[in-house]
Amino acid sequence: MLTLSYASSVESDPHDSALRDAEPDDASLARRIAAGRPGLAADAEAELYRRLAPRVRLYGLRHLRERQAAADLVQQVLLMTIERLRAGRVREPERLASYVLGMCRMVVLDLQRTHARHERLLGTFAHDLSGAESAGTPQLDDASLLRCLERLPERERSVLVMTFYDDRQARDVAVDLGVSEGNVRVIRHRGLERLRECMGGKAASL
Amino acid sequence: MTTPSCPVPIPLDALVAYWLGELDEAAEAQLDEHLFGCGTCSAQLQDLVGLGDGIRMLVQRGRLRAVVTDALPKRLVDAGLRVREYVVSRNGSVHCTIAPDDDVVFARLEAPLTDVRQLDVLVFPAEGPGHERLEHVAFNASASEVVVVPGTDLLRSLPASTMRMQLVAVEHGSDRLIGEYTFHHTPWVLLQQS
Repeated sequence: MLTLSYASSVESDPHDSALRDAEPDDASLARRIAAGRPGLAADAEAELYRRLAPRVRLYGLRHLRERQAAADLVQQVLLMTIERLRAGRVREPERLASYVLGMCRMVVLDLQRTHARHERLLGTFAHDLSGAESAGTPQLDDASLLRCLERLPERERSVLVMTFYDDRQARDVAVDLGVSEGNVRVIRHRGLERLRECMGGKAASL
Repeated sequence: MTTPSCPVPIPLDALVAYWLGELDEAAEAQLDEHLFGCGTCSAQLQDLVGLGDGIRMLVQRGRLRAVVTDALPKRLVDAGLRVREYVVSRNGSVHCTIAPDDDVVFARLEAPLTDVRQLDVLVFPAEGPGHERLEHVAFNASASEVVVVPGTDLLRSLPASTMRMQLVAVEHGSDRLIGEYTFHHTPWVLLQQS
């Protein structure tokens, strides 16, 4: 049985690895895993996990819209990826990204069916779980974010709140406000740009 | 996948549209591919998601002051939040408070908004002269109300006091008063003692 027990320690200390200094590409890591006997390429497996996990998680959040489901996706996809690399079943390591994306698409279809059932059961407890669900997303400084939001023009703050409270599309916000979809997109863009400038740091890279 | 910087970075608008599901299937699949192969752009998306999470959390805790529409209170109630709501008629008043376990407080200010192009809210504090002007607030002219979220931090800090709000339509550079709304606030503790 394959395990990914190194996952949390690697994510918490991403710079403490000789692999980081060498910066091998993903294909090199994949080949190293394929060439090594099980357990002997643990450093390459850990580095690959560190690189891939955030992207798989984002894909899961985007397509499943549920944090626990996204976490499940990360585990399942990376488990299968490393298992298949160990077994030499990935024929084109240089196309590893496409290979992993393909697995994501396949697993998401399964998880969507499973989590549709779970959501019906958990819907009542969504509020209680909301704190736990934020785990894994980069946390911004609340006070700074609040201050920056309060500096925005009223209309931009309103549109950002109405958009991001539950990820609503421009056309839905436009209906709420009785304005055009294009108008909402313009206000949303200006608001995000101003927020980015105000926040600096992580958000400034947007 | 290990490229340190992206030669063709995804514009912010496209990242937002992708995240909100506004793209067509082909464009979405294209961005899926790009994001999987690009650490720079996936990190930018991660930051965008973090911003959205932060906004959501501030709204859920009622900490963010904003003027919204009727759709948001409904969604907060659906999410299981404890929402306290006051409906104030045009030129009317209301006795109000905030309970310890309230998550969000809303004030619905009833007003005829047909033909209003720009709407400002004037907030007159309980003490001291002057007022704060919230310019160009969001509203739906057909809704006949403005939904104000004053922010729980402010409300919890207020002593027993009376504050006023005015809705004004801005027309050709001058104000037209639409309505005045008075809030007689009593702290929860005082209500329990009386």
